[in-house]
Amino acid sequence: MTEYIIETIKVSKSFGGLIAVNEVDLQVPRGFIYSIIGPNGAGKTTLFNCISGFYTPESGNILYYGTPIQGMPTNFISSQGISRTYQNVRLFGNLTAMENVLIGLHNKLNSNLLDAVIHTPRSARENTWSLQEAVRLLEFVGLKGFGDYLANNLPYGLQRRLEIARALANNPRLLLLDEPTAGMNIQETTDLTQFIKRLRDELEISIILIEHDMKVVMDISDRISVLDYGMKIAEGSPSEIQSNSRVIEAYLGPGGAALAEKYQKQRRNSHA
Amino acid sequence: MNKEIIRSSSQKGLLFGIVMIFLVLINFHLMASTMISKLMGTNVLRGSLPEARFFIIFLVLYAIWVGWSAASREGKTIHKLFEGLFAGLIAGLTVALFGLLLFYMLETQTDIRKYLTALSFPSMRFFLLDMGELGILVHFGLFTLLGLLGSALAVGLRSQKVAHFKQGVKTAITNLRLRITNALPESVNKYGKYGIYLLLLVILFLLPTRWGSYYNFVFGMVGLYVILGIGLNIMLGLSGQFMIGIAALFAMGAYSVALLNSPIPHGLMWGFWPSLAVGVVMAVIGGLLLGLPIMRLRGDYLGIVTLGFGEIIRILLNSDLLTDITGGPRGVQNIQQPTFLGTPFNDVMYAYLIIVAMAVSIFLYYRLENSRTGRAWLSIKEDALVAQATGIDVQKYKLLALCVGAAFAGLAGGIFAARNQFTGPNDHTLMVSINVLSVVIVGGLNSIPGIILGSFALRGLPELLRELETYRLLVFGALLVFMMLVRPDGLWPASRPDLEEKGSPGLKEDIEPAEEGRSND
Amino acid sequence: MESNLKSPPKLTRRNYSKIIRPIFGLLVFGSILWRLYEVLIAQQAYSAEIWVRLLISGLIIGGVYALIAIGYTLVYGILFMINFAHGEIMMIGTFAGYFLFEATKSINVAAEGSPPLSFSDAYPLISVILAFLVGMTVAATAGFFLEKIAYRPLRKAPRLVPLISAIGASFFLQNAAQLLFSPQVRDYTNPQAIARGSGWSLIINGSRVVITYTGALTFILSILLMIGLYVMVQKTKLGKAMRAVASDKNTAALMGIDVDAIISRTFIISGALAGAAGVMWGLHNGLVHFFVGFLPGIKAFTAAVLGGIGNIPGAMLGGMFLGLIESLGPTALGISYQLKDVIAFVIMIVILIFRPSGILGEVLSEEKV
Repeated sequence: MTEYIIETIKVSKSFGGLIAVNEVDLQVPRGFIYSIIGPNGAGKTTLFNCISGFYTPESGNILYYGTPIQGMPTNFISSQGISRTYQNVRLFGNLTAMENVLIGLHNKLNSNLLDAVIHTPRSARENTWSLQEAVRLLEFVGLKGFGDYLANNLPYGLQRRLEIARALANNPRLLLLDEPTAGMNIQETTDLTQFIKRLRDELEISIILIEHDMKVVMDISDRISVLDYGMKIAEGSPSEIQSNSRVIEAYLGPGGAALAEKYQKQRRNSHA
Repeated sequence: MNKEIIRSSSQKGLLFGIVMIFLVLINFHLMASTMISKLMGTNVLRGSLPEARFFIIFLVLYAIWVGWSAASREGKTIHKLFEGLFAGLIAGLTVALFGLLLFYMLETQTDIRKYLTALSFPSMRFFLLDMGELGILVHFGLFTLLGLLGSALAVGLRSQKVAHFKQGVKTAITNLRLRITNALPESVNKYGKYGIYLLLLVILFLLPTRWGSYYNFVFGMVGLYVILGIGLNIMLGLSGQFMIGIAALFAMGAYSVALLNSPIPHGLMWGFWPSLAVGVVMAVIGGLLLGLPIMRLRGDYLGIVTLGFGEIIRILLNSDLLTDITGGPRGVQNIQQPTFLGTPFNDVMYAYLIIVAMAVSIFLYYRLENSRTGRAWLSIKEDALVAQATGIDVQKYKLLALCVGAAFAGLAGGIFAARNQFTGPNDHTLMVSINVLSVVIVGGLNSIPGIILGSFALRGLPELLRELETYRLLVFGALLVFMMLVRPDGLWPASRPDLEEKGSPGLKEDIEPAEEGRSND
Repeated sequence: MESNLKSPPKLTRRNYSKIIRPIFGLLVFGSILWRLYEVLIAQQAYSAEIWVRLLISGLIIGGVYALIAIGYTLVYGILFMINFAHGEIMMIGTFAGYFLFEATKSINVAAEGSPPLSFSDAYPLISVILAFLVGMTVAATAGFFLEKIAYRPLRKAPRLVPLISAIGASFFLQNAAQLLFSPQVRDYTNPQAIARGSGWSLIINGSRVVITYTGALTFILSILLMIGLYVMVQKTKLGKAMRAVASDKNTAALMGIDVDAIISRTFIISGALAGAAGVMWGLHNGLVHFFVGFLPGIKAFTAAVLGGIGNIPGAMLGGMFLGLIESLGPTALGISYQLKDVIAFVIMIVILIFRPSGILGEVLSEEKV
């Protein structure tokens, strides 16, 4: 039994010659909020897709509790307690919010075709439980009263929350959040940041976060990895990352570190 | 007058004129006049033509329609009137030119019935209203004047006042309903639903004994299509798999009952009920065999493969290869009837059987749709990749949907074969698959009332309107296109269930959701 | 939502679906190979001239299928819809050609006093060309109006909706033809110069194999039309616009392309090809009736799917392939000729199972998340 909930060992994935993820090593300790940052096209989402089973990496291992899971079907990986959200919200748009969460509960339920048809006491109990659980989840993410809305008709911010509710319904040990604050205003972003913290603190879920909003990242991350052109170029605590010259160059281009230093010096001078 | 008005109204007029010519070329005007004549109490002998005045009534209605539809919804009244007049003029001109041609052909005794079957001399004379060249003028005048009248009617009936009046009536009805609901004790409101079900049951129980075997036959057809529609809906509406070969699964049920219950070719006499069960099982196996290899195909590819599957089954049934097993092109005859208390089923019993089968199917469908399985299917339809990442074994559930849907198709097939006492390859053509598809789509995907309405509209009505017999499929095709243009969600679109209240016992909702966002608006 | 930091999960899973396809494939291919061995090598039941005969008829019918299949593929490539009424467009073309032939037959061009001589007998080449032109024009017009009335208003609707509309249009056209021209089967005109059955003879193994004039005409014309279409799509401005619309309608519209006009033209082109195929069908098979477009339509769609729908060379290849399978398959596998369609459909299903995007279709990488 290892202390890491997920561990990637030299994971690589390429698309027709383009290496999207290149020998990435990550160690995500249990109970951490672990952020992955990097410029657009750095391979962050591809890495998520490898972990959640959409892609099979060409080489390397993905260990979940020390056991390799790469190449397993996504539904199996999900049933083991890894949930995720998507960069562009992907809800079941023509179904209601309640139904979305109920579908998220799929792994937790057992009733089969026969139960559905003859409503055995067991399945009736399960049915009531699942409805209550779904309502509770909606309440938890702040969607109370929106349960019977079609997912498509919800405003964008609420759609994001609904997606998280659906992911939480699976009762995950690990939650992968792909740019959860994209397209949100400042207030919504602050709320969501608090919410993510609550997930970790109250539900003890480990979280891997892809995020572009540096304020969010620096605020809540326990540890950060930086990807650039598919390679991990830095890893460390938020303060370490902030002062890492390679990271700054990845974002600002060659010579960026010197530029940033100059800029900061200027600012300091003007303040003084 | 600006050019746009002239252009659009002349297009409308030309279109209506051409449609009129088309109707004449397929003898539709004769049929319509005959029907009008019957409605007005003058019977038309078989093989003779109705009186010309009934055709004039048809023309009047048609010409008013031209003006009505030519008048645009917005703009000045004078423009609308002009549009009606001009469209009528153009339509009249088109029809009059056609009349002139017919007149010329009559004069020169040109017979082109070899090419256009409808154009016999009596029919031409009838089109000219038995007045010769004068008829041409009558056509022209009618269209022009009545086009104007039609647009005038449109101006009048579409006005604000009428709209207000309609709105008023609607509100009054809603208020009345609310009043009644409030006045009745709560128990009635709560259990009134069941009262309606009971009433429906009594009606369904009484009807088959009252209305004779022909209506029982039509009703049975509608019922079987409801069952088939439910089966297809599980594949298409719930799990989103584009299935066109449902006739093959229908055939499995039908042939199971037929072959296990007839003297030729096998001489097996298993009885109806066990063989019906076998039929359902066979259909499920068919669904499984079809589903296993094709699970990874999506969308239209799935459609074309299932279409191919249906055709393969039909051709095999029709071929010499399987004649010894399935009876070949001649099918299976003299299928033994099920018995009830010792007497074989008659049409009333079959109607009951179909009612029961339909009720069971509807019950099962509702139970399935609102279950873990049903929601898994729906999620696959919405987004298979995400569904899989949410923990749903997509392939398993898709296969399950095919099998469950197939079971319904097999059930319908078994009853169908027994009721007809015959089944052959021609009962299981591509047409059957397409009919079922149309029933489901026209009715409304995932909507049971829609499917019932759809099978009544597409299977029941054409049977009942015998006058239209010749034009049945033509009207059917036009109706399909028209429906898709006007109501693509079907006659009775589905709505999603409200579940939140069920999951929060004792909690009243504290937020009143806005109307337009609700799922069942 | 209780605490989650419990024991690690147990990871075992068996995957049956990965085993099923190879087994299925082995079964099908094994049985096909076994039949081929029996018929071709063990029994040697048929001699060379029979194979040549079948090959020729397969190529001819394949050419017709390919022309119709291109129509399906063009429309599918742009609108992602199955134009179910395409077979009926072909039927309309067949009828148009028929009526033109009948008209040319009834015109007397003989000089005063000499025995009557019809236009079609006097100028066979011109009347055949005219028939093709008229068939193509009428079918193209029908395609244009079909799109305008039944499909254009549904451009934004879910994909099933235009399909049902297409099915409705197909019914309507079929039954309109039946009501207008009566359900009887008519003999297609048989111009003397290229009378059916006459043609060039080849002697193979001492027996005669005829390459009929109508067959040669059908094959050569279909190849020419296909080449013409291919050049048009690849080289002309219209072709470029069509490809642009096919790959992204919105961007194409932003580049100043009139998307509606391009779609209309696509229907016109595919209608014209179907019309030509219809006249060929009539000339070669000698029959015309309201149902004439239905089966070729479905077969050609199968061919388009086989080749990879949306892909023009794929449709040509698929059409030829299907024609050959239909013609050679029953004999090669030693099965009754009744079952030729079964063979065609089975081959299609097998190919789709192993190459879901068709022979020449682009192999899609896993869908992007």
